[in-house]
Amino acid sequence: MTSAPVPVRVARRLSERRLAILFVAPALLLLAVTLVWPLILALDLSVRDVRFIGQSGDFVGLANYADTLNSTRFWESAGRSLIWVVGNAVVQTALALAAALILHQRFPGVQIARVWILLTWIVPTVVVVIIWRWLLSNSGGMINPLLVQSGVINAPVGFFASRESAMTTLILINAWRWFPFVTLMILAALTRIPADLDEAARMDGAGRWKRFSRITWPLLQPTLAVLLVVGTLLSFNVFDIIWLITAGGPSAGTQTLPVLIYETAFRGYEMSQAAAMSVLTGLFLMVFAVMASRGMSREAGP
Amino acid sequence: MTGRLLLWGGIGFFLVIIGLPFWWVVTGSIKDPAEIIARDPTMFPQSFTLQHYAKLLAASAYPTYLVNSLIVAVSTAVLTVLLAVPAAYAFFRMELPFREGMYRAILLAYAFPGIIVLIPIYGFFAQLGLIDSLVALVIVNTTFALPFSIWMMRSFLGTIPQDIEEAARMDGAPTPVILRRILVPLLLPGIAAVAVFAFISSWTEYIFASILILSDAQRTIPVGFAGIIGQYQIDWGLLLAGATLAILPVVIIFALIGRTFVAGMTDGAVK
Repeated sequence: MTSAPVPVRVARRLSERRLAILFVAPALLLLAVTLVWPLILALDLSVRDVRFIGQSGDFVGLANYADTLNSTRFWESAGRSLIWVVGNAVVQTALALAAALILHQRFPGVQIARVWILLTWIVPTVVVVIIWRWLLSNSGGMINPLLVQSGVINAPVGFFASRESAMTTLILINAWRWFPFVTLMILAALTRIPADLDEAARMDGAGRWKRFSRITWPLLQPTLAVLLVVGTLLSFNVFDIIWLITAGGPSAGTQTLPVLIYETAFRGYEMSQAAAMSVLTGLFLMVFAVMASRGMSREAGP
Repeated sequence: MTGRLLLWGGIGFFLVIIGLPFWWVVTGSIKDPAEIIARDPTMFPQSFTLQHYAKLLAASAYPTYLVNSLIVAVSTAVLTVLLAVPAAYAFFRMELPFREGMYRAILLAYAFPGIIVLIPIYGFFAQLGLIDSLVALVIVNTTFALPFSIWMMRSFLGTIPQDIEEAARMDGAPTPVILRRILVPLLLPGIAAVAVFAFISSWTEYIFASILILSDAQRTIPVGFAGIIGQYQIDWGLLLAGATLAILPVVIIFALIGRTFVAGMTDGAVK
C-alpha cells in the first residue's frame, strides 16, 4: 500500500486538527459561558453590596468575606455539610458495594436487575420527596405502623422532629437515591478484574472472604478512591431533597451550605453575601479535590 | 450453599428497599382516600378509584408542568447529543492540541457544584432576558449533563475498531463523510445512552428551575409539583397520583433503552 506524499499528509493533519477544534469548540464554549463566566461574575458580586439582582451595588472590598468567616451560621452549616458528606459516603458505599457484588454474580434476572436498580436514581427528586414524606408520615405512612407492629418501637416516631433524627433520615433517603449510581461504577470496576485471577485463587483453595480481601478489595481501591472524590462533590451539591423535606429545619439542624446559600440569596435577599459564601465554598471544595487527588496519585506511585 | 443463601438474601433486601416504596406509591394512587390513611396499611389495594388522577389533571396545572418538562427534557437531550458526540470524537479519536488539559477541565466540570454559579447565572440570564423562559433551563441542563455525556461516549467509541475509519480514509473518504456514513450508525447506542442521561437529568432538575422560572405557566414538574405539595391540605392521593405520572416517562424510556444506558455507564459490562 502506498501512503500519500508528505505534503498531502501534513495538510490532512492540519485540517484534521482544525476539524477537531471545531468539534470541541461548541461544548467548551457552552461550559465557558455557563460555568466560567458566572464564576467570574460571582467573584465580582462578592466584593459589592448587592441585595437583589438588578442593583449595581457599591464596592465593599472583602467585607462580605469577613462577615461570612465571622458568622457562626456559616461554620455551623459547613460542619453540617461535612456530616452530610461523610454520612452519605459511608452509607452509599456500603450499599453500593453489596449491590455491586450481587450484580456481579450470575442468577436468573441479573440483566434486568442491573437496569432497574437505577430506578431510584432516574425518578425526579420531588417523587423521592413525596415517597418518603408519605411513608414516614404519621398519617397514612407505612413505616411507623410496620415498626410498631414488629415491636421495634412502642409508639409512632417523628422522623424529622429532632435535628439529629432529621439529619440521619435525610442521609438515608439521599443514599437510597444515589447508591445505584455508585453501584454501577463499582460493577464496572468489578468486571474489569480478570476472572482467571479469582479462578486461580479458588483452585488454590482460597475461601470466599480471602478472595474478596486479597483480590477484589485491593483491585477496587483506585475506583473507590475516584468515587470518593466525585461522590463527595456530588453529594455536597445536593440541595433539593433537603429543601423539599425539611427546608433546613428543624431549628437549622439540616441546613447544609447549599441550603444556607440559597436562603441567604433568595429568602434573605443578600446576593453579595451569598456570592461570598459560594466563592468560599468553591475554594474549600477545590482544596479538598486537589488534596484528595494528590493523595491518590501518591498512593498509586512507587 | 451458604453462598446461594447469602446471594438471594441480598437480592431480597434490595428488592424490598427499592421495589416496595414504588409499589406502595403506585398502588396508593388508586386507593380511595380512606384506605390511604387507614391505620393498618394495606399491601394490596382493597379499593379502586381514579379520582386522584381526575382531580390532578382537572384542578391543577399539572398537565402544563408535564408538557413543559417534556419540552425541556427533549430539547436538552437533543442539544446534549449534538454537543457531546463531536466533542467526544475529537477528544478520543482525533489529534487535538491541549487534549489532556481540556479533558481534565471537563471531568472537573462534571462534579462542579451548581449552587456556586446559581446566583450569578440568575443575574446573567436576567440581563439576557432569559428569565422565565424554558430556553434558560435547556441551556443550564445541557451544561450540567454535558461533561458526563462526553465521558460516557468514550466507552462507546472504544467499541468501534479504528481500522474501519482507517480503511475508509485510505479509500479517500473525507472525515465528515466517514463520520456521517460510518461512525454515527455504529455509535447509535452511545447516542441513545447520552440522550437518556440528558433527558433524566433534565427531568429531575429542581434548583435552577425554581429560580429561573417565575410564572406558573412555564414551570416544570419538579418545581410545579413541589408547589402542589404545599398548596393544599396534604392530600396524599393527589400527590401519589402526581408522583406516579412523573415516574411514568422515565420508566418507559428506561424500559426501551435502559440496557444501552447501563452498558454506557459500566464500560460495556452489560452486553
